[in-house]
Amino acid sequence: MAPLLDISAVAKRFGAVTALSDGALRVEAGEIHALLGANGSGKSTLCKIIAGTVARDSGRVHLDGAEVALSDPRSAERLGIGLFYQELSLVPQLTVADNIFLGDERTGRGGFLSGRRKREDAATLLARVAAVAGPGLTPDALVGRLSADQRQLVEILKVLSRRHRLIIFDEATAALDRRQVEVFFEILRKLRADGVSIIFISHRMDEIFAIADRITVLRNGATAATFVTSETNRTEVVHAMVGETAIRERVEHAKPASAGKPLVTLKNATSRRLHDVTLTLGEGEILGLGGLQGQGQSTLLQGLFGALPFARGTIEIDGAPHAIRSPATAIRHGFAYVSGDRGRDAALHGRSIFENLAPAAIVRERRFVFWPRQLRPRFEAAVKALNTRYASLEAPIGSLSGGNQQKVFIARWLATGSRVLLLDDPAKGIDLAAKADFFALIRGLAAEGVGIIFYASEDAELLSLCDRILVFNSGRISAELSGPTLTSFHLTHAAYGEAA
Amino acid sequence: MSRTRAVLSNPLVLAALSVLALLGIGEILSPGFAQGNQVTRLLTVSALLGIVAAGQCLVVIGGREGIDLSVGAMISLGAVLAGNVMSGANGAIVPAFLVASGATFLIGIVNGLGVTLLRIPPLVMTLGMMGVVQGGLTVITRGIPSGNAAPALSSFVNQPFLLGLPGILYVWALVALVMWFLLRRTELGFAIYAIGSNERAAILAGLPVRLVRILLYGLSGFFAGITGVLVIGYTGNSFVSVGDQYVLPSVIAVVIGGVSLAGGTGNYFGAMLGAIALTLLTSVLTTLELEFWGRQLIFGSVLLLLMLLYGRSRQLRV
Repeated sequence: MAPLLDISAVAKRFGAVTALSDGALRVEAGEIHALLGANGSGKSTLCKIIAGTVARDSGRVHLDGAEVALSDPRSAERLGIGLFYQELSLVPQLTVADNIFLGDERTGRGGFLSGRRKREDAATLLARVAAVAGPGLTPDALVGRLSADQRQLVEILKVLSRRHRLIIFDEATAALDRRQVEVFFEILRKLRADGVSIIFISHRMDEIFAIADRITVLRNGATAATFVTSETNRTEVVHAMVGETAIRERVEHAKPASAGKPLVTLKNATSRRLHDVTLTLGEGEILGLGGLQGQGQSTLLQGLFGALPFARGTIEIDGAPHAIRSPATAIRHGFAYVSGDRGRDAALHGRSIFENLAPAAIVRERRFVFWPRQLRPRFEAAVKALNTRYASLEAPIGSLSGGNQQKVFIARWLATGSRVLLLDDPAKGIDLAAKADFFALIRGLAAEGVGIIFYASEDAELLSLCDRILVFNSGRISAELSGPTLTSFHLTHAAYGEAA
Repeated sequence: MSRTRAVLSNPLVLAALSVLALLGIGEILSPGFAQGNQVTRLLTVSALLGIVAAGQCLVVIGGREGIDLSVGAMISLGAVLAGNVMSGANGAIVPAFLVASGATFLIGIVNGLGVTLLRIPPLVMTLGMMGVVQGGLTVITRGIPSGNAAPALSSFVNQPFLLGLPGILYVWALVALVMWFLLRRTELGFAIYAIGSNERAAILAGLPVRLVRILLYGLSGFFAGITGVLVIGYTGNSFVSVGDQYVLPSVIAVVIGGVSLAGGTGNYFGAMLGAIALTLLTSVLTTLELEFWGRQLIFGSVLLLLMLLYGRSRQLRV
């Protein structure tokens, strides 16, 4: 008998980036199939292709033995394929019942909308999670008033209400607590008994081993292996994720990790996406933040910088406690923040390179009145030190390439002397040459005693640069890697919530 | 060829060219239009518009849909306050300036607080404020013209003061100097461009974004108040709707001068040229015996046409 879903040799490029080169996946009817892979391995792209939100460039997708196009979400929906979106498809201003049946309205006599039927059907669905729903999760509750875990439950029920043959749950358990996950798994097992197939993605390895029948591993855009869960173990799976050739190339540092005296100490930092994070950054140390994307790394950096202040926790700088409630405060303490999302977080669009360099100097040196002539030589020195290619400081920022723009946004901070550099996936989308310049610069700064906290979505960047890596999972530090454990095996292992 | 096009698409060049063209048209329609006395007269009227436009210019550059529709009502308030403080006495000119600009500065600050802290859209906030100030003024004065200008103020605005030019032109030049210094040499001016260009980036760069935006509206009020005092000097007495005619032109002048309504670009020099061009246009239309509504029609069309042109050039730039 043909499998329900059979994908082979699927490829997808986004511009110059190959997201998927050889994706393959077979899902049997009535099977829970886990999809695993490090950041950028292509699992999101594969899911989007199955759900019809991204069209494949080449390759075959068979459903029940017949080739299908899956050109748009609607055609996938018609074929009985459902996708769980992470909180993205709920309308906060509508009620729980409205949201569950949005686009699949309940009608009564004469084909008119029936509010009564909708509420009744929603109540039936809610009854399945009643034991763990928490207070206030009723059909008439506004979604905007619900907590994160309740919204996630609503999202799950919304997918369940559609009676699909194949459901993709992409990080459906991210906001749920242990009991809620158990109830969700009960629902999944019941679906499986009814013959529904499920593709399950999670950043927690123990969940995968608890629920999945089989596991398919993606690596660098290609399917690396498929395992039967009962016949494999975690080590084997992680090896498949990182590959046999994952011997890391690394410049060995002369000094042992965290030899410098502590520069910044963070204790018990907690906010909406962070739980009880404690860390110390030494002078001249490059501290990496690892793990799958969106596990709290960026929240931590923005918290330290005062852009998203922590709800609780203390920050000590040179041993003295300080409250950092705004970027301005952080900047005056010598902090700098470089975001990978340049267009949103750093670029003053339509302004000159000079103006894009100036803010840090103006804020940190409290220059209420300034004369460009005094600042220009320093700025020129700072951008030149990074090999930035530019015509003149008066040219608009938009005339530079992405990599050169990022150099300007880093030079912004270097022109004023920063002691703590917070890097939030800074090399995202910049070319290889600029990346090399950039990494050389970071090593140079560390050698001068600057403390650096570096988050990268690419594990290779972390491994080649960091003295120590804290691995994040669900807003917590799940492992600390240093010395012999600084390998992609340990990093991937820990990213999925396993002790290294 | 592309160079010529680049020069021609520069708003400053366009504004300057339209000033010259309008002067020429005026001279053809009514000989003597472009002569010395007439030009001085036109510049005097332009100065009134130009000084309000300074505030409007700041608010628009500051972005987030920034616009100040309450400048008209604040000019009226400034004029009425100044008229009552002076009551024809030369000694009270300085207090008149202080009271008028102080009051309108505070009203502007309230606008700024509404826009930043309560996140009311600027259009709605300043439109509401316009109603409140106009209504309040009508209730207090019962709609009767009150107060009158000190003779010294009237002659300062209307008569030659230095080198044959009236004093108001020196005030305008001072405003221009202050605006240049503010926008180009101070943290406040730098921050105005930054928040107008990308507010999130400005916050992450540590700039005091809220404070700056509140001050912007305060400054817009301040310039409207100064204009109010000069308006009463120009007309001699004040009535409650004297400022209304400046609202739309102050916005158009800024746009003619190349300040994008999306924020973050432009400068005051362009807005000055815009004020002159618009005053000339009014004058030409008056020569054509076009009455108030006809002028409104033309003004509105000019604004929409400019939006169309600049909207396209922005698309081309990206």
